[in-house]
Amino acid sequence: MKRVGLIASVLAGLHLLVLLAGFAAPYDPVEQTRTLPFAPPSRLHFVDKDGAFHLRPFVYALTTDPDNFDAYIEDTTLPFPVQLMVAGSTYSVLPGVESRLHLFGVETPARISLLGTDGFGRDVFSRLLHGGRISIGAGLLATLCALLVGLGFGTLAGFFGGRVDSAVMRLADLFMAVPWLYLLFAVRAALPLHLDTRATFLLLVAVLGIVGWARPARLIRGIVLSARERTYVTAARGFGAEAPYLLRRHILPQTLGVVLTQAGLLVPQYILAEVTLSFLGLGVGEPTPSWGAMLGTLQQYSVLTSYWWMFTPAVALVAVAIAYYALTSMVHERMRLVAS
Amino acid sequence: MRLIGSILLVALLSGLSASAAVPTPVAPGEDVLVERATSGSHGGRLVVALRAEPRTLNPAAAADAPSREVIGRMTGDLIHIDRATQATESALASQWKRSADGREYTLALRKGIRFSDGHAFDADDVVFTFRVLLDERTGAPQRDLLIVGGQPIRVAKVDEYTVKVTLSQPYAAAERLFDSIAILPQHLLNDAYEKGAMGQIWSVATPAKSIAGLGPYRLKEYVAGQRLVLERNPYYWKTDSAKRRLPYIDELVFLFTGNEDAQVIRFQSGDSDVLNRASADNFAVLARDQAANRFQLKDLGPSLEYNFLFFNQNDLSGKNLPQVAAKQQWFGDLGFRRAVSRAIDREGIARLVYRGRAVPLWGNVSPGNRLWINASLPRLARSVSEARGLLKASGFSWRQDGQLLDRQGRPVAFTIVTSSTSAQRTEMATLIQADLKELGMDVQVVPLEFRALVDRVFQSFDYDASILGLGGGDADPNGEMNVWLSSGSNHLWRLGQQTPATSWEAEIDRLMETQLVTLDSRERKRLYDRVQTIVAEQLPFIFLAAPHILVGARADLGNFQPSVLDHYTLWNVERMFFRPELRSQRR
Amino acid sequence: MTLIVRRIASSVVLLFAVSVLSFTVLELAPGDFFAEMQADARIGSQTVDGLRAQYGLTQSPIVRYWQWVRSFVRGDLGFSLAHRAPVSSVIWARAANTLLLTIPAMVVTWCLALPLGIWIARHRNRWIDRVSSGVTSTLVAMPDLLVALLLLLLALRTGLFPTGGMWSPGAEELGYWARLLDLGRHAFLPLLALIATTLPSVVRHVRASVIEAAEAPAVQAARGYGIARSRITSRYVLPLAANPLVSLAGLSIATLLSTSLLIEVVMSWPGLGPLLVEALLAKDVHVVLSASMLASALLVFGNLAADLTLYAVDPRIRV
Repeated sequence: MKRVGLIASVLAGLHLLVLLAGFAAPYDPVEQTRTLPFAPPSRLHFVDKDGAFHLRPFVYALTTDPDNFDAYIEDTTLPFPVQLMVAGSTYSVLPGVESRLHLFGVETPARISLLGTDGFGRDVFSRLLHGGRISIGAGLLATLCALLVGLGFGTLAGFFGGRVDSAVMRLADLFMAVPWLYLLFAVRAALPLHLDTRATFLLLVAVLGIVGWARPARLIRGIVLSARERTYVTAARGFGAEAPYLLRRHILPQTLGVVLTQAGLLVPQYILAEVTLSFLGLGVGEPTPSWGAMLGTLQQYSVLTSYWWMFTPAVALVAVAIAYYALTSMVHERMRLVAS
Repeated sequence: MRLIGSILLVALLSGLSASAAVPTPVAPGEDVLVERATSGSHGGRLVVALRAEPRTLNPAAAADAPSREVIGRMTGDLIHIDRATQATESALASQWKRSADGREYTLALRKGIRFSDGHAFDADDVVFTFRVLLDERTGAPQRDLLIVGGQPIRVAKVDEYTVKVTLSQPYAAAERLFDSIAILPQHLLNDAYEKGAMGQIWSVATPAKSIAGLGPYRLKEYVAGQRLVLERNPYYWKTDSAKRRLPYIDELVFLFTGNEDAQVIRFQSGDSDVLNRASADNFAVLARDQAANRFQLKDLGPSLEYNFLFFNQNDLSGKNLPQVAAKQQWFGDLGFRRAVSRAIDREGIARLVYRGRAVPLWGNVSPGNRLWINASLPRLARSVSEARGLLKASGFSWRQDGQLLDRQGRPVAFTIVTSSTSAQRTEMATLIQADLKELGMDVQVVPLEFRALVDRVFQSFDYDASILGLGGGDADPNGEMNVWLSSGSNHLWRLGQQTPATSWEAEIDRLMETQLVTLDSRERKRLYDRVQTIVAEQLPFIFLAAPHILVGARADLGNFQPSVLDHYTLWNVERMFFRPELRSQRR
Repeated sequence: MTLIVRRIASSVVLLFAVSVLSFTVLELAPGDFFAEMQADARIGSQTVDGLRAQYGLTQSPIVRYWQWVRSFVRGDLGFSLAHRAPVSSVIWARAANTLLLTIPAMVVTWCLALPLGIWIARHRNRWIDRVSSGVTSTLVAMPDLLVALLLLLLALRTGLFPTGGMWSPGAEELGYWARLLDLGRHAFLPLLALIATTLPSVVRHVRASVIEAAEAPAVQAARGYGIARSRITSRYVLPLAANPLVSLAGLSIATLLSTSLLIEVVMSWPGLGPLLVEALLAKDVHVVLSASMLASALLVFGNLAADLTLYAVDPRIRV
């Protein structure tokens, strides 16, 4: 019980952080610093070059090594202490409400890149937080679509049985057979270019979710089938209850468990699907960050072998996924214990 | 760094002798080409990793790069362009004469030469080759190269070892026409040609006996999905200075990898011996490993390729594209294009996309083309303020939040499409997107699958702007006719014109057609300089950068002389050899 | 019997529907195979148009689809524009290479997952369960592309394994055992990647279904009777747990040709994966259609086998 609460609050905390990305991130995620491509994470110092200890950590400004593209040298002449609640780039808290307050930062010309920079000199930590919005949002949207359609078809198949059931199941087979991810290429290419890339991406995510109805539908159909045969349902039918009443009162509540556990499993799966979409070039366009787009740069061999900080979106991904799975299995356990 | 297993494997392999094809001694009547400056030792196997599988071994059907890479090692041409000097040299034609009016070339062929299957080579093969290539039914990609002045060239047999080539008009670079036009064996292909099956013959799975050519290597075996092996041509018509028949290396193995990164990985791990054209990022990774792994890396300077941003200025009257048509009001404005060009950070592109291994470009000829570049073209530095001034002069204005508005008050927003397979061009687009944001333009970057991109640019015209790259063929401007002639099929910004739409395009037409028939090279240079100046002024293409050619090979490979012309590394494969004194250091 | 006939009939309809869908979506995307040639400045557009006409690409989509269907039912899988050869000469060898990877992977996965899952279920909620849950969650959450890339990196850094391909150059000259060893070394990393991506979820499913089966009243009753634990597991728990597992196994068979796609592409394994990806990008229509048909046929077979096994094994299901 306590552990469920713990996991749930960790998950909630992650989501909150991502939601407050504008505040928590020190920089604008699309701001390029062309003099600092692929800079390693800033080193926080407590002891300066004279040996004096400072309570407040500080960073040094970076200068480029003239002979090497991505070798940087710290300029130890001037320390830049880390400050809290600084004024930085503008971001919108709510539609129409803007703010310039950031959780932490340093004065220019130094930069504090907790997770380094990417190939255009953009701060990876800021992009990680802002990118979480897109990635987790994509996961939630796709899951919603998949579950809605799956619930609809599954209930249909399970409740009416017979011909309807086999028709729906054959349709489900069809949807599982077609390699949708790769055919999304073609869908993207056929879409007009004048749509906003964000809108196009949302469309693709929704499509991905909708075509993923088959598996949840199968599971829901199973539940509905067995629920339909329960004695109290047959009794209710015997009393003259109509289908909508049966569904609402007796059958659909039975599916709640499956729907919830499916949701818990599908959200990370669809976040992963966003990663794959971005790998294949179908993600949200530049310069908007998303975890998939950030991991997509790892497909280049040089990035894979040289810049370890570009892996951090994978860590975030795994952390979110583990939290969801843990929560799901705990809820599942609880519900089984309650049911038996 | 290698395990026992692989040491055993290598021991097993090196213990085996070379394969069956041994060079035959030079026959007395054979008119061989003696490479005077060449000496080396025979033996060894060279492994090259290809980015994709070759599609065909038919020289008359190959349009993709991997097929051409393999076919180029199996075939010979009449007159060859030496990649090191960029000048023509004799190949299968030992000498040639040009008539006074420049329309006729008489080529004397080498006598006593044989194909890789032992069959004799003579003028009949040459005449057959050109008949096949010029036949429309064959659909050969080389056909358009052989059309001069609207007429295909005519090749006729004079006697057993002499042919006469007739052009409809004098053509300055006529000798260069013959480079890489593979001579086909009539005795093997005549039947297929008569039956009209030339397009389907000689796929990669063809048995080795059915294929013959005049190149340094011939087909040994093909394993689907994995590799293609060539063995030495025992009848090859070149020898080294000591009259020993070339090539030195016994076998050439082409491995198929999926993409450039896989290609680099194979090279780094020692699976392959030659790296043909790496990207700057991968080159940097290899450079770090260089000392430990004993390979030689070379940066050859700027290539002939040029990357550019261009806007859709096509005539859209027959198409239903109202949004694009509305934006063409901006695209057609020279001030707009000049402003975009001034705002682009070319230095940033060279540094961030290519790690400094590229040169910024303001014209269509890269500095890698030393003979033809117009060195006096102005190189305008990046200036956002100048760009803003140009926009203001063209009637644009800015909104409160910085968004650029046109004369009618519409926000300036457009899309740049790039190929999703080209990471560099997409990165350039991202940089340009940020640059143009400073001018208040709202630019979106849409990577599209390559074929979809080509369809939009060439057929449907449903795009706003795009970033592409051209060049990389021959240094001679005649290779670019299709781009600069207003009726050309690669005149990307305005395709399908019957007559030139602007006066400067008409002038370019005139200049290009004049230089085509001028035989004096200085005069041609003057004309082409003028073309470059006009292009740099009118900016149908906004030029961005020319990447360097970056190659690598194992350290003990001798005579490795890469060049900026295709084929960058293997063009002199017959002269390459393994230096025995360095061989023990490998692996 | 009639059931099987009906299922087969509906499977044929399914395959037909898959081919129509694949073809439609391919056609939706602008561009065709020869678009690449059009972008080459040295080739004129007339030549390209001539080639298009020669290979029948100028006909209407319906005509082209119908021609393919007609040749397909006769056993001719079509003509590959990229390889300039019949599709069958290209596709079977590649499919065999893929199966060479996926069948051992599936066997190993299930042989490991079953005992592992049962064991973990037995020690439920102890630290073993917790640790394995964490490990499997992590592996399931990682994109398989990333797993494959990391393994490739490992190969490169240590030099222990080849970085791609199926054979070393010159392998044809080796003896039988040496060739087998060579094949094994090349297949090791793709196999590892495949197993790493499929094992965790199978283990989780086994664990979940075993736990669920162990709660069943019949099992509790048997425990109450004092029957030995091993007997309970084999006679009571496993048959009950078999239901979802058989479906899962059927799905494993069904996806034999598709799970390894990304891994094959990353590790340059010459299977169906790279062929399909290249054909999709090149719009080599017949190859894409044939490959999807092959994968779908296997899917149908896998599902059918699973369903039939289910009817035989699970006592609760009535046909």
